[in-house]
Amino acid sequence: MSQFLVKEGVKNQIRKGEKLVTTHCCYCGMQCGMHIRVDEKNNKVVGVEPRYDWVLTKGKMCPKGVTAYQTIDHPDRIKTPLIKKNGKFVEATWDEALDLIESQYKGIQENYGKDAVGVYGGVSMTNEKCYLVGKYARVGLGTRYIDYNGRYCMSSAAGGFNKTLGMDRGSTLPWTELEHTDTFFMAGSNTAECHPTSIQWFWKAKDKGAKLIVADPRETATARVADVHLDLLPGTDSALANGIMHLLIKHDYVDNEYVQERCNNFEELKDMTAKFTPEYTSKLTGVAAEKIIKAAHIFGKSPRSVVMFARGAEQQTSGVDNVSLYTSMALLRGQIGKFASGVATFTGQGNGQGGREHGQKADALPGYRKIANPKDVEHVAGVWGIKPEEMPKEGVSAYEMFHLMQNKTIRALHVICSNPVVSSPNINYVQDSLEKLDFLVVNDFFMSETAELADVVLPATTWAEDEGTTTNIEGRVIRIRKVVDPIGESKPDWEIMSMIADRLGKGKYFDYSEPREIFDELRHASKGGKADYYGVTYEKIDEQDGVFWPAPTEDSKGTPSIFQERFATEDGKANLAVCDFRGPSEVQSNEYPLWLTTGRVVFHYLSGNQTRRVDFLMEQCPEPFVEMHPELASKYQIENGERVKLSTPRGEMITPVKITKAIRKDTMFVPYHWGKKLAVNQLTSPALDPFSRMPEFKVCAVKLEKLTK
Amino acid sequence: MNKIMYLEFERCIGCRACQAACRECGDHDAKERNYVEYVDFTESRQTFPMLCMQCKDPACARVCPANAIQITDEGVVLSAMEEKCIGCRNCTFGCPFGIPKFDFETNKMYKCDMCYDRTRHDIAPMCASVCPSDAIRFIDFDEMQQLRRKRTQMNLVEGKKPQEGNKWDYVPEFFGVYTDSQS
Ligand code: SF4
Ligand code: SF4
Repeated sequence: MSQFLVKEGVKNQIRKGEKLVTTHCCYCGMQCGMHIRVDEKNNKVVGVEPRYDWVLTKGKMCPKGVTAYQTIDHPDRIKTPLIKKNGKFVEATWDEALDLIESQYKGIQENYGKDAVGVYGGVSMTNEKCYLVGKYARVGLGTRYIDYNGRYCMSSAAGGFNKTLGMDRGSTLPWTELEHTDTFFMAGSNTAECHPTSIQWFWKAKDKGAKLIVADPRETATARVADVHLDLLPGTDSALANGIMHLLIKHDYVDNEYVQERCNNFEELKDMTAKFTPEYTSKLTGVAAEKIIKAAHIFGKSPRSVVMFARGAEQQTSGVDNVSLYTSMALLRGQIGKFASGVATFTGQGNGQGGREHGQKADALPGYRKIANPKDVEHVAGVWGIKPEEMPKEGVSAYEMFHLMQNKTIRALHVICSNPVVSSPNINYVQDSLEKLDFLVVNDFFMSETAELADVVLPATTWAEDEGTTTNIEGRVIRIRKVVDPIGESKPDWEIMSMIADRLGKGKYFDYSEPREIFDELRHASKGGKADYYGVTYEKIDEQDGVFWPAPTEDSKGTPSIFQERFATEDGKANLAVCDFRGPSEVQSNEYPLWLTTGRVVFHYLSGNQTRRVDFLMEQCPEPFVEMHPELASKYQIENGERVKLSTPRGEMITPVKITKAIRKDTMFVPYHWGKKLAVNQLTSPALDPFSRMPEFKVCAVKLEKLTK
Repeated sequence: MNKIMYLEFERCIGCRACQAACRECGDHDAKERNYVEYVDFTESRQTFPMLCMQCKDPACARVCPANAIQITDEGVVLSAMEEKCIGCRNCTFGCPFGIPKFDFETNKMYKCDMCYDRTRHDIAPMCASVCPSDAIRFIDFDEMQQLRRKRTQMNLVEGKKPQEGNKWDYVPEFFGVYTDSQS
């Protein structure tokens, strides 16, 4: 069968001697459709061709997507296993590497118990792999300690959605409906840079007169054209949402019938929001009262609105509260479950949606099942062929795993598809924790900062060397195709996990010859769960432009719009959020008088391990910088381009200044895609949301110093 | 073919996908021919893309003493013919949009050719294909006309009407027309 999918009437350029393979981008949650160009003679990847007929992205890509293919046959690829000897990596055979891993894992587990070996996963890989990481930890290694980088990404959104709606699907509606929306309320999302191809839908709606309200400390590309830009202080989203709801109630914008029928807690919410007058809200958030009032009227009057948010609101110690409150705004207006209306979070990682559904999280099993629920354990144990008693208990969250490395509870760690010494908060501590391990194994295809610390590095494949599925920002399951064979001796992560499990005597549980078999098992493991993939098949994905979960039966076409009749809570009603403003964990002081917030730039992805190796992207953005307002710069006598020192009690960095009025006067911004001395995560705060265990990346008090010449 | 490259600067989000994509076009030697600039980063993040306007009477071709810059039947202004270009760089000064670039290694000029190997087969150029914001579009003449009318319509919806002194605000875009020779 041809691997090139194209709809009738759509023209693509296919050059002589080349073929196209249809797939999606490896980076963010938009999962833009693309075709990859392959030279038929030598089977090498040579470029990219737009996939004009992919329903969500229509051929459009950001510069990361355009250049993604360049990471496949890249000179920096790790092509053989590497073992560290006397502080240096030497090339090894798979057998040598597996021998060492086997003896270390066995030795450590015999001496210190099964839980002494932990697993740290990631979600920039297919559902098949993400699912298998959970099984590998619990069945292969028998450890309770597994968590993943999604903890730093989607955990607060998940927590908030579960609390209010009873289920965590990143978007309650398909995004192809967004062009019919009348008002977007976007909080803490720099979508023009982080999900660039989503812009086409917002601009399309705007062409028809849609209104845009943006809450962000920075005047991002979306904030710049917004009807109202709510330039709030970092960490004050919960006050803002309460303030807006106060006005929705005051001005009678509440859809009473909907709230009556479909929501709990309205009276409590009313009481809680009573004190959030525009004046009080303005005092907490730093946003002018008029702007809050204007935003509430626009939002309140709009017949079809979507409330959206991203890490800006979620990476806080009140991340779950923020998500619940913003979601409640949509509920008060009676929007969720209707056409072109609802609520959505911007999924950061390529498979941030699918990867969080199938059991990589410390407390979760496939299909959003819970390890604490005996029924759930029984079902999954049945699919896996183990006894329910054999299922390890719940572990701890990503950042908390580092505490356990410090106190030697975890003595060996297997990192799969992640680079925590760049992406975690307070990375000096994280690095120290990893250095305290007896044994560290890292799967990667480039030598990441984390891999440098490893005892064994196993060469994984890129996304283009394996089959599988991902679940995009909308909750649509889509297909990733194998474009070329694995380069060098690299192997897909699922094969690596299976080989290690085999060495540990668990081979019979990991007897797969291709990803499709893993997907089939995932379908059964998730069957009956909230994220039900039972009805999703590779064929169906091709036939109908992806399948939205839940798809509970074999003939199910999937569910593009959810919550149309009832919510996934026990009583079927949504729980309106009743949360007071708590404020960030850090306060400004004489020593640390300014605010620091972090985020992405359009040219880089996550820890930058891939994008920092692509020429075009490095030409555009070779190093981090700190954005500040000219008034702040003037106070410190700082000029554009000058290098300055930023510090918090946890660390410091020196970085050049970019002066712009497109940011608050009391807040600075630094992108986080670099490691070591260039890492802003040396400075960020590891305070955790009490519910989601999400670190507060987005707010910390910081000191700015001019360097003496 | 009667297609138009249609630019709407205010839609641009500054992602520079158009530049990355320009390098991907087969005939482009992995060198981009368009550019994206901030209007004024100190003031705001607004950026704008610029590519060749494929002028009817191109300044670059006019000032070329070697007659190296050819115009196709469809009206596409091509890069200088390698055997003719003498490397004088007149074109880089002549163009009012700063489009022709110069390769100091080969001593030759190169410029945006609207992805001629794509557009002559009616496939959109790379920049217009990938632009996430539709700041750059490759559309039919009719669609362009519709977009122009749409603007007026939106201004009416919003109750805006040009006044003396601000008429220019109502025509903020710039667009290059790609016509076939007969029209
Ligand atoms: S990074 Fe995201 S927006 Fe950019 S091309 Fe890839 S999937 Fe699309
Ligand atoms: S691709 Fe489009 S939005 Fe991005 S910089 Fe170019 S013109 Fe602007």
